Amino acid sequence: MTNPKSPAGQFTLLYFAAASSFTKRTSENFSAPVRAADLFQLLEGKYPGMGDKVLSSCAVTVNLEYIDLDGDDAADGDLMIKAGDEVAIIPPVSSG
Amino acid sequence: MALSLPIESTIKSLRYQIASCEAQLQDLRHQLADAENRAHWHTIPFESLSHDMIGGVPGDIQTEFLAVLSQNGERRRYAKAWPLEKHEYKRYGRQLIMPEVGLQGQLRLKTSSVLVVGVGGLGCPAAAYLAGAGVGKIGLVDGDTVEESNLHRQILHSTGRVGMTKVESATVSLTQLNPTGEYLAYSSRLTPDTAIEIFQSYDLILDCTDNPASRYLISDTCVLLGKPLVSASALRTEGQLMVLNSPPRPPGDILGGPCYRCIFPKPPPAESVVSCGDGGILGPVVGVMGVLQALEAIKIITRGIQHPDLICHIDIDKPRFQTNNEMPPNPPEPPSLLLFSAYSNPPFRSIRLRSRKSKCASCSAQAIVTREALTSGSLDYVQFCGIVSPVEALSVSERISVDNYARIRTGTNPITGTEARSDSHTLIDVREKVQFDLCNLEGSINIPFSVVSRTSVFVKGNSAKDVGEEEWVTKMRGLPEKKPIFVICRLGNDSQLAVGKMKELGLDCGGRRWVGDVKGGLKAWRDYVDPEFPEY
Repeated sequence: MTNPKSPAGQFTLLYFAAASSFTKRTSENFSAPVRAADLFQLLEGKYPGMGDKVLSSCAVTVNLEYIDLDGDDAADGDLMIKAGDEVAIIPPVSSG
Repeated sequence: MALSLPIESTIKSLRYQIASCEAQLQDLRHQLADAENRAHWHTIPFESLSHDMIGGVPGDIQTEFLAVLSQNGERRRYAKAWPLEKHEYKRYGRQLIMPEVGLQGQLRLKTSSVLVVGVGGLGCPAAAYLAGAGVGKIGLVDGDTVEESNLHRQILHSTGRVGMTKVESATVSLTQLNPTGEYLAYSSRLTPDTAIEIFQSYDLILDCTDNPASRYLISDTCVLLGKPLVSASALRTEGQLMVLNSPPRPPGDILGGPCYRCIFPKPPPAESVVSCGDGGILGPVVGVMGVLQALEAIKIITRGIQHPDLICHIDIDKPRFQTNNEMPPNPPEPPSLLLFSAYSNPPFRSIRLRSRKSKCASCSAQAIVTREALTSGSLDYVQFCGIVSPVEALSVSERISVDNYARIRTGTNPITGTEARSDSHTLIDVREKVQFDLCNLEGSINIPFSVVSRTSVFVKGNSAKDVGEEEWVTKMRGLPEKKPIFVICRLGNDSQLAVGKMKELGLDCGGRRWVGDVKGGLKAWRDYVDPEFPEY
């Protein structure tokens, strides 16, 4: 995986572990801005089934900072993902 | 099967006995060294010792010793003149001369106790470095025995100890590495009824396990008992590392570090959890994560794990550190999640985590995870994380045993009654390509399950062309109707799901073509038909 700079008007989404296996990608660019709470819906639209199978248990970070998207009243639901941001989908890895 | 032969069991038993004797011998050597060391000191009159101390040791070092000794409440050691054994200065010399460790750090390591839960790819390197660094007591929890497929990454085990319990095998290795430590083996899987009792006698816990249920159980127990937790995991080429519940404040105290539930409140769906056995793991990837766990543990211990409350009062202690020319202890680091992705650039990413979640089920003021709930069994971790029941997706008539399938390949077809011919049927192997390339049955066609499962089934009425049917589906449609299709995989689960999908896609030609799976997959093939087929 490389860390491509996102093109103008877009943000970069990084997929780790199960998210990477599901999408068969390690990163992808999306048009900004996107409300953080709408991110999962955007991905479910592009990758049907991803919501239940992967995203429901994932941590999400924006520019290397954890954001809280747990539940309908999530603390960071209204946060706007801007152009140039690096967002990561981090599923829990439990094996070892 | 092979293991039940008398000769095999004799070999196993002898290996076990040899290892036990080796461990015993090591222990005796250690006791002897200890006794000799004591005898040496007994021959020197105490007066000359204290004279040496006054005359030969610089005052500031003496002050430092006294400070360290009184701080650890071990004044009786003063009679021995040196706070560490002679051999310990030598053994730990390379880390002792570092300001991050120093004498005080080494004494803290020596009096500390660490519990390593899981003695596999993470636990082996973690325990090895902790034992090497001089951690006084290391507990090892694991219910498994050593298997040959563990050895590429589980570095405390060895070829000669295959079949031995992992905790026994690790104890032998650790004792050889550093006989000064005390190693305690708990040879069963961690459960909610045993967790609190085991954790109680340790200062710090390392989560080196391999499943979500254990991760939540360990985190909850650490919060309840106020123990810091170093948690790591690894799969394929990636790893994760977190220091949790550090500082280990009581539930509801926002100054405490977040717990596992704060970061991952919901477990992944059970059917999506991939083990190292199924997904694969690169030895150095999991090794790196285990080594990093040991590093975090050493940082926490040398900073002063026994008195986590003192961390906030560094300023009060400052003058003493200055007089001793010792660096002030490093303040605890803010919580972070370290991601390691071996094939990415950059390979490491450190994520800043938040403090405790205000609604956390375990460490917040609203916690529902209590000691009572844990010990009474009302917190069902297995239920919480979901159970994957064996796949029973097909009816009896849609399945064939490996014995019968073998006859189709070499004798008379039990379904059609025709003599075996290589082109009498189609065999589809749905393992991923890399596994298919390792070994496969002659004449089989590889269509990976990942490709099959993501293929969408379109609503009737849409012609295949309009919606762009996948190539493999088109190819299979083109096969003659009279030839049955057999689907095989590694263990016999994916093959059933693949058959279901193929029927949904209409590949059974409305029932005119038999499509079914080979029960038990290539494992059954090896067990009952061809023992030479490779096991991996």
